[in-house]
Order: sequence, then structure tokens, then C-alpha cells
Amino acid sequence: MPENRDPVVHLDRQFWIVTAVLGVLALISIFWWVWAPITSIMPEAVDKAQQIDALFRFLAASGTALFIFICGYILYFSLAFRRHAGTPENAVGIQIHDNNKLEFWWTLAPTVFVVIMAIFSLRIWYGIEVAPSNTLVVEAIGHQWYYTFRYPNVNGEVKEMHLPLGQAVTLHVTSSDVIHSFWIPAMRLKADMVPGLINTFEFTPTRQGRYEIICTEFCGLNHGLMHSGTTVNPAYVYIDPPARYASWYARTEREQIHASNAIEAASTSELKLNGGEPRDGAKLFAAKCSACHAAGPFDQKIVGPGLRGVLDDPAHPNLVDGDKATPENVAKILQNGFKGSMGQMPNQAANGLSNKDIVNLVAYLKTLK
Amino acid sequence: MTAVAAHAGGGLADHIHPEPQGFIRKYVFSIDHKIIGIQYMITAFLFMILGGMLAELIRVQLMKASGGLMTPETYNEVYSVHGSTMVWLVIIPLLTGGFGNLIFPVQIGARDVAFPWLNMLSFWLFPPAGLMLYASFLMGAPTAGWTEYPPMSLNAYGAHDGTSMWAAAIFLIGVSSTMTGINFLVTILKMRAPGMTFTRMPLFVWGQFVTAPLLMIATTALGAALAALFVQRQFGVAFFDPTRGGSPLLWQHMFWFYSHPAVYIMILPAFGMISEILPTFSRKPIFGYKMIAFSSCAIAILGFMVWAHHMFTSGLAPALQLPFMVLTMLIAIPTGVKIFSWVTTLWGGVIHMTTAMLFAIGFLATFTLGGITGVFLAAVPFDLHAHGTYFIVAHLHYVLVGGSLMGILAGLFYWYPKMSGRLMNEKLGKWAFWLFFIGFNGTFLPMHWLGMWGQPRRVAVYDPQFQAWNQVASWFSFVMTAALILVLFNALWSMRNGKRSGPNPWNARTLEWQIPSPMPYYNFKHVPSVFAAPYDFAEPLPYRGLEEELT
Repeated sequence: MPENRDPVVHLDRQFWIVTAVLGVLALISIFWWVWAPITSIMPEAVDKAQQIDALFRFLAASGTALFIFICGYILYFSLAFRRHAGTPENAVGIQIHDNNKLEFWWTLAPTVFVVIMAIFSLRIWYGIEVAPSNTLVVEAIGHQWYYTFRYPNVNGEVKEMHLPLGQAVTLHVTSSDVIHSFWIPAMRLKADMVPGLINTFEFTPTRQGRYEIICTEFCGLNHGLMHSGTTVNPAYVYIDPPARYASWYARTEREQIHASNAIEAASTSELKLNGGEPRDGAKLFAAKCSACHAAGPFDQKIVGPGLRGVLDDPAHPNLVDGDKATPENVAKILQNGFKGSMGQMPNQAANGLSNKDIVNLVAYLKTLK
Repeated sequence: MTAVAAHAGGGLADHIHPEPQGFIRKYVFSIDHKIIGIQYMITAFLFMILGGMLAELIRVQLMKASGGLMTPETYNEVYSVHGSTMVWLVIIPLLTGGFGNLIFPVQIGARDVAFPWLNMLSFWLFPPAGLMLYASFLMGAPTAGWTEYPPMSLNAYGAHDGTSMWAAAIFLIGVSSTMTGINFLVTILKMRAPGMTFTRMPLFVWGQFVTAPLLMIATTALGAALAALFVQRQFGVAFFDPTRGGSPLLWQHMFWFYSHPAVYIMILPAFGMISEILPTFSRKPIFGYKMIAFSSCAIAILGFMVWAHHMFTSGLAPALQLPFMVLTMLIAIPTGVKIFSWVTTLWGGVIHMTTAMLFAIGFLATFTLGGITGVFLAAVPFDLHAHGTYFIVAHLHYVLVGGSLMGILAGLFYWYPKMSGRLMNEKLGKWAFWLFFIGFNGTFLPMHWLGMWGQPRRVAVYDPQFQAWNQVASWFSFVMTAALILVLFNALWSMRNGKRSGPNPWNARTLEWQIPSPMPYYNFKHVPSVFAAPYDFAEPLPYRGLEEELT
């Protein structure tokens, strides 16, 4: 298709009028996106939310403008060049094949746009991924179907997330069972909670209030309830003024010590191992033990050995502490933990197990044959 | 001239087998690419009815924030099988095995594909695979979506036994796809008519040509992933189970290494269809032929290097997010060039507003919107907000329904005469188009803001504040379904009652229109030779040797 065969074409006045109209519409749409009251629908609770919204405004404005031009031209060409009733059946359109100049520009324009967008995105992304030092480190853990949180120097996991206004936060997220996701729309941030993996992001809360946390990764039957709408486990993050945060933190720290003291006290007592519920034990095993122990044979080691047949394995009659493999001795290890050359197992308090939990776990381990 | 004659000789003619006469050999176990193409289409449209019914179950469930139609367990099965059906049993088979088989061998002047028996085998793996997928309902269908991310696809976490059946079914359809890819690639490379150089190939052939390697290469990765999932589920090998040292992210990488190229498997042939229909009904050469062809190649190559943009929130190393983001954004360039070229093709044309043309123009508008939101999602910071929400649902339906399915419907109205010798009813067709266009946009447009405001995908119940817009989406989805029923009715009705089309009702210029409708067993009495690209509407046809085709 040699280009010199193409007729020379001129765009008529009508085309430029339509182009001008589309240009005005595009400008209005850009203006709209720059001023759109996003925050009245969705507050920006952290510094990164403002940056991400700025990027969104840029994307939405340029996307809408482009869309207006493309749809406008489609509509205009379809109407203006429509075959009229009187047009002969064999009439043909203007036989042009190519226009190097035009094609050069419309390849260059999106290229430039992509470069700008990439730089814009990179700058914001860099701020989210790279954490500065001395931040408050909080850990969020997904469960079917609720969230728990760990704070520095606070024993165990707490069910509420509080953050101090104006303090940089590093958030680590992970999961105890399946993949969940941790999304706070008001923060415009999200990370999947993947079992065995820790995902991290960094932000600084800038607006006081209570914001909902939503799971966006399919996580089982109650996935749709894993957000603040649920009455069972409402999922919120509270952004408090520093003083209120400090008092919440102090109170929580105290309560959690008591919680673990209670477990500690209980653990010195003898346990009655009858009447454990293996099914509850199985759930606990998945949540608390399975990161280090498989429910498979002894040799299937993750951190510790596989626990199938732990109570009934002629090849391994003794437990790691040298005691005979009896239910009582297994319960003892669950209470006291274990520290040895091959590794370390947390004790009852660190694992957050009640006495009943231990009874249930032992009952479950008995069923693993 | 002698060189051309030598090239045209022996080789192609040697492939001639006598036309089978029995019903079984002619219509069931046929090796004729046209019959196989029609078989693919009929099967895929049947599965589309099933998948569409599942879609409506989803929309009825979501009419109320508290659900109510189904338990969450059933709902999870329904959307998982809906997604799997539409991707693997509808869109991919229609675009490759269906329209691909039916049209592209004729467009390159071949009498069949390179491996007709392999083609038959490809097809005959497809219905059993589909039945297996639906049989999984009997043992508890898969629940973790069409992506089936572990650990949710493992029984220990609540998956059903049918998930293994799902893996086996998709594996089978993957084998079928791979064979189709090999077949089409060899056919296009080796069986073009004399003079049919690469820059004279119709753009639908280009679409199939760049899709075939994707089918071949990417699908094997899916096969490996599915095999691993199957072995994990049935024999306990812990590929993906984190509690036993496996990695759930491994599945995501393997799955998307296939499924992102699969997105292009599902759109490049539709690009090809649009590139045929727009010039034909504008009576104009396609604008920027070479740019359209080469941009397809660019999209296919880039398509292999961007899979992890589905995993921006999954826990990708930061150093990996960067290249995946930038490469994904780069795809906007060839795609943009295509869209600009198509719109420019309309300019200065003599536009015949047939139903096929309406669907093609509708494709331009809706696919553009889906493409633009795709670029948004490439920007990691924006994806951190939108990932896993209804914004994604909106985006993917804009490209798969507003793109692929619109293309398929345009192609159906355009090429229907080549299958049946009759035209589909234009009046019904135009009604169907407008109902479809309105219903589609009404269904999926609100999902953009639903997602931005906080509705996650794959939920059986949701926050009551989103109920109003969900109801809007559901009501419009009924309109869309009505339109699709109208199209299917039209196709059935026109088989007997449609106007006779003659060989070339649209005055189109590619080779399939130069032979009778429906197309005869051997396509061409004499293999034609080609001396120019097919889109010069003011010129005589660029073929020699077609004089006896219509006699």
C-alpha cells in the first residue's frame, strides 16, 4: 500500500467545530475531576490517601478526557459519514490507508502520557513501600473471619486497632489460616494477608476517626461479613489523638498482662485431659501450631517434626524433652514450651492457649494416626 | 509466474480427501474446519446459556444486601463456575476454535487447517471438559472463584471435592487450546495461498496468528499449575499449602502467567474481527494496517511480561512491582494506536449501519472504557485501593463482555451467512444491539463506583448502603440477558427463515466472501493467488483464479 497513492485530504470546518466542542467537554471533565468532592464521600485518613487521590484525580481526568474524545469522534463519524438513502450501493469512502505524521503523533502522545503516569505512580509507590525509621510497628493478623492485632510490648493479640494521630506507622500484615486482605478504604491502602508471609506498608494517620477494615480476598463462607458491617466481629481502625491513644495503649498493655498471668497461673496446675473436643483442637492446630508442625508423619519437618502418631509412634517413643510420649507429657510441653538446639517452641502464654485449648489440642493429636 | 504456479501446485491439492457422506463423519466426527468451527460455536453458545443463568443467579442474589436466594456456600459455587464457564467454555472457544476455525483458513486461501484430525481432537476434548466442570456440582463445585487461589481451594480450608474435577476439566480444555494453537500457527505459516504475504493477510488472520503462540505457550503453564493443584488435593503433595512448607503465591504466579496472556487470547481475535467489520461497512481501507498488525504482536509479547500486575497486593518484592507496573502501562501504547486507527477508519467512509457494524462500533466505545480503567489499575498506588473490589469486576466485564463478547456478536451477525447461507434478521438484531448496549452499561458501569466506595468482590452479602446501585445493576442485567436471548433466537430463527444471502451480502473483499455461502467442502475449486491487501474498496479484487468458484 504505497502511501503516495492516497488522496490528499482536508478536514472540513465541521470537524474542527466538533473537535472544539469535545475539547470543551474534556476540559470540563478535567475540571470536574480536579475539584471532585472525593473526600466528602470517602475521607482521607492518612497521608498516603491524599497522594493516592491525587494520582486518581490525574488518572480519572486524563481517562475521561480521552474517553470523551474517542466516543465523541465515534458518534460524530458514525452520524456524519452514514450512508444516506440515495447513496449508490457501490459508493466507496475516501481511500486513505496511512498517514505517517498522524500515526507518529498518536503513538508519541500515549507514550509521553505513560511516562508521566509511571513517574507519578513511582513517587507515591516509593513512599508507601519504603518505611522510615522509628515508626510505630503494628502487626495485623487475618483469621476466618476476623482480624487481630499485635502491639509492641503488649502480650498476645488484641481485637481492636488503635493508631495515634500524626505518628508514622509501619503495618505488618499476615494470616493465621487462608489468604485474607486488609483494606481500609479511607486509607486507600491494601495488602493481602498471606499465611507464612509478612506484607508491609507505611503511612501516617492524619485524620481522627473510626474507619472500617474490609477483607477483599475471598476467604471462605463468611468473606462477605469480614468488615465493619458484621455484628460478630466488627473490624475498625480507630485513629485517636496521641493522649487518648496513650491511655488506650496503657490500659490494653495492663489487661493483656492480666490475661496472660491468668493463663500462666492456670498452667502450673494439673490438667484433666478427659473430655477434649478434637474438632476444636483441629481448628486450634491449624491456627496456632501448623506454621511449625505438619499434621503429617514425623519426618515432614517444618520447624518442628510432623505430629501424626506423636502419641503412638514406635520409632519415636520419646518426646523431644526425653519424656515418654504420653498425653500428659504432650500437655506439659504445650504448657511450658520447649527450648533446645533444634529450635524453640513458645509456651502456653506466648501461644495464647487456655487450659481448655490444651485439652482440646491433645484430644486432636490423639486422633492423628 | 511459474514460481507461483509451482508453489500453488501439489502440496495443497494433495490434502484432498473425498467429502464424507454419512451423518456421523460429516457432522459429528468431522475433520472439516468449517464444521468444527460451527460445532465449537454451538457448544460454546450452549455453555453461554448455562453461564448466563449462573450470572443471573448472582445478580438476583445481590438484589438484597443480605442475600437471600442462596446460602453463601452455593453462591460461591455459582460465581466460581460462572467465571470458569465464561472464560474457558465460552469466550476462548468461540474466538479461537469457533470463529477462528470457521473463517481464517478460508481467508488465507487454504482448504483446511494443517492438521484436520488434530483439529477434530481439539474440539472433542471441549464438550467433555465442559460437562466435567458442570458435573463438579454433584460433588460440590469449586468455591474459590475462577482463579481458585490456594489455600481456599484446598479441602482443609473449606473447598469442595469438585475442585479437583474443576482442575481436571480446565486441564483438558487447556490441552485442547494448546493443540488448536499449534494447528493454527502451522496453518498460517505454511498454508497461505500463493501471493498471500504477511502484509496482505486480512487482520482477522493476524489476530489468530498472534493468538496461536499465546495458546501454545501460556496454556502449558496453566496445565502445570492445574496438575500441581490436582496432585496437592488428591495425593497431598504440598505445593501450595503454607502449613507444610508450600507457597500459595506460587499458584498465583503460575496461574497468572497463563491467565494474563489468556486475556489477550480473549481479545486479540476480537480485535481482528473488528478490523474486518469496520472497513467493510465503511467502504474504506482499514487505517494504519501495518500499525494494527504490529501492535497486535507488541501486545502479545508484552502480554507475557506483565502477569504479576494481578498480584500487586499479594506480597510481591518491591523490586518486581516496578517493572510489572511500567510494562503494563506500555501496553496502553499499542492498544491506543489500534483504537485511534479504528476510529479514523470510520472517518470519510460510507457507513452501512448494519447490526454487525453497530456491535463493532459498540465494541469501540465499551472496550475503550475497559482499556482506560485497565491503565488505571496498572498504577500500583491506585491498584492498592481498587484491587479485589467491584472496580475489578467492572473492568474485567468491560473488556470481556464489552470487548470480547461484543466482538463475538459482531462476528456472528457478520459471518452468519457463511455458515448458513442466510442473513440474520436485521430488525431483531438492531433491537438486540440497543438492549444489549444499554443493559450492559447499566449493569457494569455502577460497579466502578461500588468498588471504589468499598464493595469487595466475591461476596454473598454486602453492606446495605450499596443495595440501591446493586439493584440498578441487577435490573439492567435482565435487559442484557433479554438481548442475548434475542440474539440466540434470531440465530435459530434465521437458519430457516432468514433472507438468502448469496455469496457476498456485505460486498466484503476478503476471500471467504468470494466463494458460495454456505462454504463448500473444499472451500476453493482452485487455490487462488493473491496480489494485494484486501481492503482497497475502489480497486478490483486482488485475486486470480476465482473465476469458477461461483459457477
